[in-house]
Amino acid sequence: MKLMLHYLKRYKLLFVLNVISVFGFALVELGIPTLISDMIDHGVQNQNESYLVQMGIKMAIISIIGVCGTILLGYCSAKISTSVTRDIRQDVFNKVQTFSHSEMNEFGVASLITRTNNDAFQIMMFLNIILKTALLTPVMMAVSFTLTTITSIKLSLIIVSTVPIIILGVILVAKISTPISEKQQSSLDGINRIFRENLTGIRVIRSFNNEQHETERFDEENVIFMNQSKKLFKLMSSTEPVFFLFMNLSSLLIYFTASHLINDGALQIGKVVAFMEYLFHAMFSVLLFCMVFMMYPRANVSAKRIEKVLNSKSSIQNGDEKEQEEEKRSVVFEHVDFVYPDGEEAVLKDISFEAKEGETIAFIGSTGSGKSTLIQLIPRFYDVSSGRILMNGVDVKDMDCQKLRNKIGFVPQKANLFSGTIEENIRFGKTDATMEEVVQAAKVAQAYDFIMEKPLQFKEKIVEGATNVSGGQRQRLSIARALVRKPEIYIYDDSFSALDFKTDAKLRGELKKQKTNEIVFIVAQRVSTIMDADKIIVLNEGKIVGAGTHKELLKNCRIYYEIAASQLSEEELQYEG
Amino acid sequence: MKDKISWTTCIKQFLRYASPYGYKLILAILALIFSNGIYAMNPSIEGSITTQLMKDVEEISKGVEGAHIHFDIVLKIIGILIICYLTRAAMILVSNFLLTNAIQSMMHDLRNALQRKIQRLPVRYFDNRAFGDVLSTVTNDVDTLSNGLQQTFTKAITGFLTFLLAFVMMFRINWKMGALALIILPLTALITKIFVGRSQKLFQLQQTNVGELNGKITELYGGFNEIILYNKQEDVKEQFKEVNERMAQSAFKAQFVSSLISPFVSLVTYLTIGAASVVGCIFVMQGSITVGSLQAFIRYIWQINEPLSQVSQLSAQVQASFAAMGRIFTLLEEEEEAQEGTASIVPEEMKGNVSFAHVQFGYGEDLLMKDVNFHVKSGQMVAIVGPTGAGKTTLMNLLLRFYDVKGGSIKIDGVDIRDMDRGKLHSLFSLVLQDTWLFHGSIYENIRYGNLNARKDEVIDAAKMANVHHFIRTLSHGYDSIINEDANNISQGEKQLLTIARAILKDPQILILDEATSSVDTRLERMLQDAMQKVMKGRTSFVIAHRLSTIKNADLILVMQDGNIIEQGTHESLLEQKGFYEQLYHSQFANGEIES
Repeated sequence: MKLMLHYLKRYKLLFVLNVISVFGFALVELGIPTLISDMIDHGVQNQNESYLVQMGIKMAIISIIGVCGTILLGYCSAKISTSVTRDIRQDVFNKVQTFSHSEMNEFGVASLITRTNNDAFQIMMFLNIILKTALLTPVMMAVSFTLTTITSIKLSLIIVSTVPIIILGVILVAKISTPISEKQQSSLDGINRIFRENLTGIRVIRSFNNEQHETERFDEENVIFMNQSKKLFKLMSSTEPVFFLFMNLSSLLIYFTASHLINDGALQIGKVVAFMEYLFHAMFSVLLFCMVFMMYPRANVSAKRIEKVLNSKSSIQNGDEKEQEEEKRSVVFEHVDFVYPDGEEAVLKDISFEAKEGETIAFIGSTGSGKSTLIQLIPRFYDVSSGRILMNGVDVKDMDCQKLRNKIGFVPQKANLFSGTIEENIRFGKTDATMEEVVQAAKVAQAYDFIMEKPLQFKEKIVEGATNVSGGQRQRLSIARALVRKPEIYIYDDSFSALDFKTDAKLRGELKKQKTNEIVFIVAQRVSTIMDADKIIVLNEGKIVGAGTHKELLKNCRIYYEIAASQLSEEELQYEG
Repeated sequence: MKDKISWTTCIKQFLRYASPYGYKLILAILALIFSNGIYAMNPSIEGSITTQLMKDVEEISKGVEGAHIHFDIVLKIIGILIICYLTRAAMILVSNFLLTNAIQSMMHDLRNALQRKIQRLPVRYFDNRAFGDVLSTVTNDVDTLSNGLQQTFTKAITGFLTFLLAFVMMFRINWKMGALALIILPLTALITKIFVGRSQKLFQLQQTNVGELNGKITELYGGFNEIILYNKQEDVKEQFKEVNERMAQSAFKAQFVSSLISPFVSLVTYLTIGAASVVGCIFVMQGSITVGSLQAFIRYIWQINEPLSQVSQLSAQVQASFAAMGRIFTLLEEEEEAQEGTASIVPEEMKGNVSFAHVQFGYGEDLLMKDVNFHVKSGQMVAIVGPTGAGKTTLMNLLLRFYDVKGGSIKIDGVDIRDMDRGKLHSLFSLVLQDTWLFHGSIYENIRYGNLNARKDEVIDAAKMANVHHFIRTLSHGYDSIINEDANNISQGEKQLLTIARAILKDPQILILDEATSSVDTRLERMLQDAMQKVMKGRTSFVIAHRLSTIKNADLILVMQDGNIIEQGTHESLLEQKGFYEQLYHSQFANGEIES
């Protein structure tokens, strides 16, 4: 609710118009009964036909005014709700752009997508309804109350007395329905989960002949869901007739009181007719309000989810650049420890090493050894928990993030391309690259040949999700993208595993030829990929257990030997050793 | 793939699912009709109070002797009304409860039917469908149908009855005025026609834009790494702004245009009320109707206005429900695979001799496998190697009859697998796949999945044999530890060991290991291979592997390329052939030299 109010403030003028147009609606819905009561009291009782026609024309005029009001109401509510939603979306999106990996992982991409799109959509629907109808209820109540008060305070009190009953009822329904709704939601999640498991495990389930078991498992959850749904729908569908009943009974009270007033000569018949109409319309507006109320819990959940994104703060802050960088390129890790934000155990423990200008450093180790995490610390995807990382002599925490990342050409494990042409995708690395540079990068990355085979060559479109290029091709384009930047530091995070052995070898040969004084970090699974690195760092359970060249490590690092032994033939090990 | 099913089939199917709850539905509708009847009478009865009051007032004003308000009559009418109101509320509640019970039970049945359906559909069905689409049928479509029935069903019936009864009552009060009110109909129809067509087009446009926005968000959030690394935050904000603005524009248009229907329909109603009240008052003066009747008449016009202004909203909901129903029943009408076979076999007595003879197969029109032949004796270990896409997994899919061969035959112990009951055929196998499928539940339940009748000690024995018992014991809850939804609270290798334990527990004649070790690091791989060796002992086994070092001691190696077996034999004999296998073997172990 706070979230919506905050954004509503930007559209004050429209909102005021919105409120005014609600009065237009109230004018006609309540004006018509008033005019009719006048017709009965003055026209009929005085047998005055021209008065009747006059009133008829008046009625037509306020009808048109009222309809204009409703149209304006439709315009304002649509404009406000869509604008607010647009603003929320943009703000969420912009916020996500300031996120670091910690926040990204905390929310998860799938959840952020839902928050930006579906949750915002929920808010739009809710706002649209609330602006159209929820304002109506208080206005209708207030206006009909005022109109009644003018003629009879006694009768107006009856109308007022219904208000607390309604409010109480609404609160009661909400109190009862919220826990049921939550239970229903969680059992729906259960249904989804089991069904998804059924789909992904289709072969396994069939091969184990467990179809019957799955059906029972599914039905268990399904029955829970059904029972919760029954409860919820019964409750929801009961509110309307019960409210109606209250309203109807209070209308009888009005009749009863009115007949006494008439007897005393304090009230005219036409007015009674009018009161009944007021009550009738106020009743409908209350029903609309109930509908809004049913939508509120869902919209509120969405709003909270969005607020959580907007209120989270990036854990990576820009450095203040107080120190000057050294001329000579270098990357130094000094006693670096790293624990994931919500993790318990350190992923990296006491990591120290130095990479000098022009060196190639490789990392190897089993899954979970922390090698990918280690290199992700360099572009500050995460900040170290203790120790520090120096680049050209400056702590990366003191550097401007943009400047830091401009120095780096990072090729992640899973290549991500964007929709657009191949050329645009390569140029992503350096917006002002010349065509020559683009072609050169493609050639080195072994992408040139397959690009030229495409009908439109560099102008070939990559579709969303890059499904029209193979995994290996995607990887090579992502390497070209990094190459075109001509960065100071290259980081390859297991970037070659999607390539076949031949391309892998050729690519690495090309890269070696191009290499001048850049620092290169390679994370790899295959020993053959990194055998000729200047330094190989062997990681195990977050610690460095060996560092040196391939030959040195074969001799004095047991874990390295084990890894190599599982991949290389015995002759080779002998030969190398 | 079938086209959408016809409406008649759809309705027929729907009625089939509704029939168990038929009496509830009929009772609910009866109660609804009854309550609407009362609703239609209310204004007239209420009006009679006014009429009585008017009469009394006139008498008083005329100075008739002893003229006063007849409280006894008023109270009597009020009494009748109280009964009417209470009955109506009770009837609506009864109807809603019955309907809710019937509808939700139906939805439960539908969900179960869908779940059973996917267990019986051929695997082929899922080849060209995203899981998300099928999943969406079970959740979103059933949900849409449920909401549609729950809300629109009552509303549509009530609306129709209100409409009909209100007109009947209006004509009863005064046919001339009733005829005047009829003018509402053509005008409303016209307005609805003009706006509904337009707003539908705009809603479609909005839907397209939602899709576009979703695509953009997915791409830009998915490419988060790249955007950060290449400092493109400002660029993508601009990109997003553009799409977002388009979305806002189309959403605004759709909402605004659809919101126009209601005011215009209301305008017609207002003007009709104006006309009716002028004419009505004149009739009252002439004495042809009473004031109470006039009051009731006007109330009836308001009553009609309600369903009319909801027509467009209702029709959108009905359309959505029908579309959802179409998708649900289309899925339910899909052809199932035959479960029973003609041959009577006793799975326990099967030996596990497998032979492929002239097998042909292709996923589409073209044949991938043209002539596959091999023979495996009981207890042998068979390795299948070849580049990605060569058809290794396909071969195993055929063996398990996830797909049927297009030519030739596959026999186990001399019996064609197409003649066996599917259940019996599957009971011969255990499957360990690279994609480790575990479900949300305890580790114990996950292992026991291999044999639901297994005792606790048998489960533990299987875990011990798979080298995973020790690991399980280190977890805080041991065998009762829960594997979470994404199964990411244990590592890939450990998951793989669990699937092996599960396979062991089943104690099958034939074991299939499809790339079971490729995503596991070297040290865990040792444990895995160790476990696998133990399991394979005494059974026919098929091993698909990337790393050739793991399969050197296989009894038979099948080398596949482009869907066919191009070489077969033992490791030594294949090396001697100096063919594709030899090349493959050397490229894997000697690639270090290529560049130097």
